[in-house]
Amino acid sequence: MADTRDLGRELRRFGKFLRSEARPRGKLLTPFNVISIPVILLGIGILVVRFTKGLGSVTNLSQEFPWGFWIGFDVVTGVAFAGGAYAITFAVYVMKLEKYHPIVRPAVLSGLLAYVFYAGALVLDLGRPWHIINPIIGNSFGYNSVLFLVSWHFMLYMLAELVEFSPVIAEWAGWRRLRRILGALTVGTVIFGVTLSSLHQSGLGALFLMAKSKIHPLWYSEFIPIFFLVSSIFAGLSMIIVEGTISHRVFKDQIDPAKHHSFEDIILGLGKGAAISLFVYYFFKLLTFIHDRHWKLLTDGWGIWYLVEILGFVLLPCVLFAYGVRNRSVGTVRVAAVMALVGIVLNRLNTSVIAYNWTAAVRYFPSWQEIVVTLMVIFTEIWVFRWIVLRMPVLREAHELPTRRTTAGNPVPSAIA
Amino acid sequence: METYYYVNIFETKGLEYLLLMAFLVLFVLLVKYLQGPRKLP
Repeated sequence: MADTRDLGRELRRFGKFLRSEARPRGKLLTPFNVISIPVILLGIGILVVRFTKGLGSVTNLSQEFPWGFWIGFDVVTGVAFAGGAYAITFAVYVMKLEKYHPIVRPAVLSGLLAYVFYAGALVLDLGRPWHIINPIIGNSFGYNSVLFLVSWHFMLYMLAELVEFSPVIAEWAGWRRLRRILGALTVGTVIFGVTLSSLHQSGLGALFLMAKSKIHPLWYSEFIPIFFLVSSIFAGLSMIIVEGTISHRVFKDQIDPAKHHSFEDIILGLGKGAAISLFVYYFFKLLTFIHDRHWKLLTDGWGIWYLVEILGFVLLPCVLFAYGVRNRSVGTVRVAAVMALVGIVLNRLNTSVIAYNWTAAVRYFPSWQEIVVTLMVIFTEIWVFRWIVLRMPVLREAHELPTRRTTAGNPVPSAIA
Repeated sequence: METYYYVNIFETKGLEYLLLMAFLVLFVLLVKYLQGPRKLP
């Protein structure tokens, strides 16, 4: 009976707390808000049309080009960008590289949100979106399909990342006992998550193995799953560098000033990892290029486009990362990270959209509605990221802050205020 | 209709061996370069 009363009191406290947290903070008229709010509203309108009148009403997709910008950018590129979460959690919890502990929470949060939004954007691109439940409920399991593997991995990995992030939610809500239980699950979940990640990052590449005759030979290879896996490592690390740099400027009041200097060390460490993975990736690409005897393909426009991607956005960022790390130039590492991200976008779009069906007489180009919806997905993710970072102990440590009493009278860290 | 072609795996083997050896040497050099200059005791 006493337990029921305690639970009721706790639920009331949490309800009040949630209502206080739901109130907006800060200025409404910031440049980001002024740009993002109209785009999000327009995107919602486009989605209403998409779900009532079908894909053809807002996209340039066809039977010839069933996969377009939403799959190529939102899903295939977005999931590569989310690779930072598994790389960092592996480094911290398995390799015990404690130096990177301060960036685990933002990395896991951005990874979780990337999967929720970018993999979630898959629903937009399904002609019959209600069929997305099929791989889970066993209706035409299709267990010999790569998509079956990818869909289960996405779902399980989202759950794994939610468990990895759940201690932050528990700290925010003031659930101390639950926080201890969830914290104990972290290492097991990280190992499970890293296993899933390495399989589905390569699984995304394996989706294109069945499209050998459609993809330009310069971008097709039997080793495309390995390319996708290796490139997801430097994509994720570069994303953390860029996102962390922006977060440190936007949310600087959330971070202990003493930790600003250690963040530069972390960036240089991430740059070292990115340089090594880019180097390995570059040689993998070179090896398959020689093995498949593709020299003759370099003479036309496709060949030049391929060289732009490989030399300009793989080899050059690799050199810049190495130079930046060696000379402790954080600025150079940041430039290299942006270039590596552009390289990933190019590679994923080349594989899934630009060099896909490259012999077709009529080419696919995304409609303005497809681009607006993609921007909407990105902006909405940033809104959610900002909402969470401003309220939960993501960039700051909850225990560093003095405690105060909630309206229900329970002492909680002020991080949840 | 997908077209299949025979790949003579021996045709490029020499280059592949050279590339792998270059990779191993350059990889060691890259890691050493990334470590930075040796600190004096």
